[in-house]
Amino acid sequence: MTTGAAPARALVFTLSARRAVRSGALWGAALGVLTAASALSYDHVYPTHALRVALARAFGTNTMTIALFGPAPHLDTLAGFTSFKVSLTLSVLASLWGLRAATGALRGEEETGRWDLLLAGPRRRVATTAQALAGVGVGVVVLAATCVLVSAVAIGSPAGGLRWTQVLGLGGAVLAAATTFVALGALTSQLDATRHDATTTGVVILAIAYALRLVADAGLGLHALVWASPLGWIEELAPLTAPSPVAVVPVALWTVVLVAVALRAARIRDIGAGLLARDDRRRGPRRLLTGPGALTWRLLSSTILRWWIGITLGAGLIGLVARKAGSTIGGSSLRDVFGRLGATTLGTRAVLGVASLILAVVVSLLAVGQVAAARAEEARGHLDWLVASRVSRVRWLLWRLGAAAIALAGAGVLEGLATWGATASQGAHVGPALLFEAGANLLPPALALLGVATALYGLWPRAAVPVSYGLVAWSLLIVIVGGIGAISPWLLGTSVFHHMAAAPAEAPHATANAILCAIGLVGAAAGVVAFARRDLVGA
Amino acid sequence: MDAPAVRADGLTKRYGRTVALDHLDLEVPAGQILGYLGPNGAGKTTTLRLLLGLIRPTSGRAEIFGVDAWREPVRAHAHVAYVTSDVDVWPTLTGGEVLDLLGHAHGSVDVALRDELITSFDLDPTRRVRAYSTGNRQKVLLIAALMTRADLLVLDEPTRGLDPLVDQVFRTYIRQARDRGQTVVLSSHELSEVEALCDQVAIVRAGRLVEQRTLAELRQLSALAIEATFPGPPPDLSAVPGVHALEVEGSVLRCQVDGSIEPLLRALAEAGVTRMTSREPSLEELFLAHYDRADVPAP
Repeated sequence: MTTGAAPARALVFTLSARRAVRSGALWGAALGVLTAASALSYDHVYPTHALRVALARAFGTNTMTIALFGPAPHLDTLAGFTSFKVSLTLSVLASLWGLRAATGALRGEEETGRWDLLLAGPRRRVATTAQALAGVGVGVVVLAATCVLVSAVAIGSPAGGLRWTQVLGLGGAVLAAATTFVALGALTSQLDATRHDATTTGVVILAIAYALRLVADAGLGLHALVWASPLGWIEELAPLTAPSPVAVVPVALWTVVLVAVALRAARIRDIGAGLLARDDRRRGPRRLLTGPGALTWRLLSSTILRWWIGITLGAGLIGLVARKAGSTIGGSSLRDVFGRLGATTLGTRAVLGVASLILAVVVSLLAVGQVAAARAEEARGHLDWLVASRVSRVRWLLWRLGAAAIALAGAGVLEGLATWGATASQGAHVGPALLFEAGANLLPPALALLGVATALYGLWPRAAVPVSYGLVAWSLLIVIVGGIGAISPWLLGTSVFHHMAAAPAEAPHATANAILCAIGLVGAAAGVVAFARRDLVGA
Repeated sequence: MDAPAVRADGLTKRYGRTVALDHLDLEVPAGQILGYLGPNGAGKTTTLRLLLGLIRPTSGRAEIFGVDAWREPVRAHAHVAYVTSDVDVWPTLTGGEVLDLLGHAHGSVDVALRDELITSFDLDPTRRVRAYSTGNRQKVLLIAALMTRADLLVLDEPTRGLDPLVDQVFRTYIRQARDRGQTVVLSSHELSEVEALCDQVAIVRAGRLVEQRTLAELRQLSALAIEATFPGPPPDLSAVPGVHALEVEGSVLRCQVDGSIEPLLRALAEAGVTRMTSREPSLEELFLAHYDRADVPAP
């Protein structure tokens, strides 16, 4: 018995680390590829000094792009270009990884009931929580190390133009972002009673952090706000351009304080419960749930509403800074640079057109999220009870797709409305018709992804959600890396966002949009037919 | 309705090379309670999911009141209410909302019965499901099934997580359902529950139906359990025809006997038996008789 005692003491750490190392290596490799692809495209896309200077002029002081993607110093160098293109993306992705890893290792494990078994033995809950977090910490290190390794090998640093210290600094920023959000995930896992709620709370805080950083960088004289945002701290680290080690201080303080509070909370709360009190009783007359339509609306409405609010705020923020950002664009070389990003005009419309990619990604995530929600209903067995009564499974899925269509249509309208309101408030005269058209232009890629996700759901339910989200990530990656000519046109064509016009900077591509919508319809139809003919499959 | 409540004809389900159900033939007459028994992984839940059209048969056919469960699920399910042992109900809905939803999904609800069931099962329908205990979640599903007065109740381990008092309430309502002419298919590991409620028992093993009879028929075909006490050491009865499972404990001998009991009675009388009791086998013994010792893993 004594031989097994020592490993058993570190059981939680081992299990947590094993899982975190696996996903950390995978995500780290993806981040490394993203970094390397961006760095390697520099010479190809901007081969001459003149083009690089034009690039620096176009984006170096452009408040719009700085607000969206972060500061852009030294864009005429490889380090500056790489920093501008990937730093914020790496920070956000590493933050998401850290958040999910922490909530999975803590609240996710607790939710399955496994911690009941563990804590029924001679284990202290604080030590168990600390072990799980330490295991995730190992994953954080692997995430950053893999990112550094993959990007360094791919770029061929230092020959590629980036110094080792710069690549290591980039890894440090990834490590800081992941650590910051592991700490946040540790806390939200104590506050909320389910992994879904803990992750959602964390994502909301991440969105707030992004918005704070955006306002700080929007040239509104509020740059000090960058210190109020965890993403702002990571941005201030600026490992590739102007390293600022002092930004490590708030990261360290935040991590220590949040982890300490989380450990304290783990000691005092009930296992299986969160610290945040929830109203588990519905007061007043209840609304009748009269079938799958009412149920779909009831289950999805609050989530869709949150998406709509987020899209409205995002579009509004972009609209607020678009005029000022657009006024900095001028000259034929800048027109060329913006042209490479899809804009055929300059000024406010050009900025809005370039920014439409971000909104298109968000709307596409909303679309795929609806299929993910449908799959979750099936995986948890909820669908069994409906289908075992007089509800046809096809009807249920059509209700779901209908809700997704409403969610997307609403997102398009709200995007147009928010952009119009925000640009009008700044005196930018972009017509409402153009802006609503730009809002509608976000929908074809989302519809195509909704259709493909539905087809996957019908044919290959267990893989549908990760593959669909992977398609969104792939489309974004391709368009980021190759949207300005860095990769083959064939590969570029695999991204749904590549086919989207940068409206309102240019007119929507009617043919491409029709094809994307057709892909969506055919995919959805194939998914419904396949779903009607297959087994219902659990988790 | 003249058709049997449930009919499975050569029902087979394969997952790749794994045969979950192998040419199952089963018929449950309307108005009866069928206990559906088998160890874990024998194919019970697969059978029920096939009957409900949740999964597609590899071959064969399942019918509910004569309607094909896979080809016409909505028409077939007009007669069905279903309870699973997996009680992961919509956590953000209240118990009352789940009842509304499943009632509407079924199409008809006896509102008076629903209110009576809520009282009898002592359920607070205003609480959200996430605040319920496992037992209370199970109560929601049981009430949802019973309140529809469906012609066929398909119950997959319906009392897992219920306390004995609620279990008694459940049994009362199941008997009432049968008395009203409803049919019940009850898959359960609670053999005492099956013994107390069921008219027929079907036993499935490794995806095959190995027995379907009334309890009385099963008992008639099965061994009688004998316990005999002697003034001294018991005699060796291993050569007596039909006698098996001999156990000796001091002056007490226990055994089982198949077929005629006469040779054993003669042998016991010759040995000077002072006391003897006999009883019919319990359902547990009948069930275990279909799974010989070789199937039981060593402790």
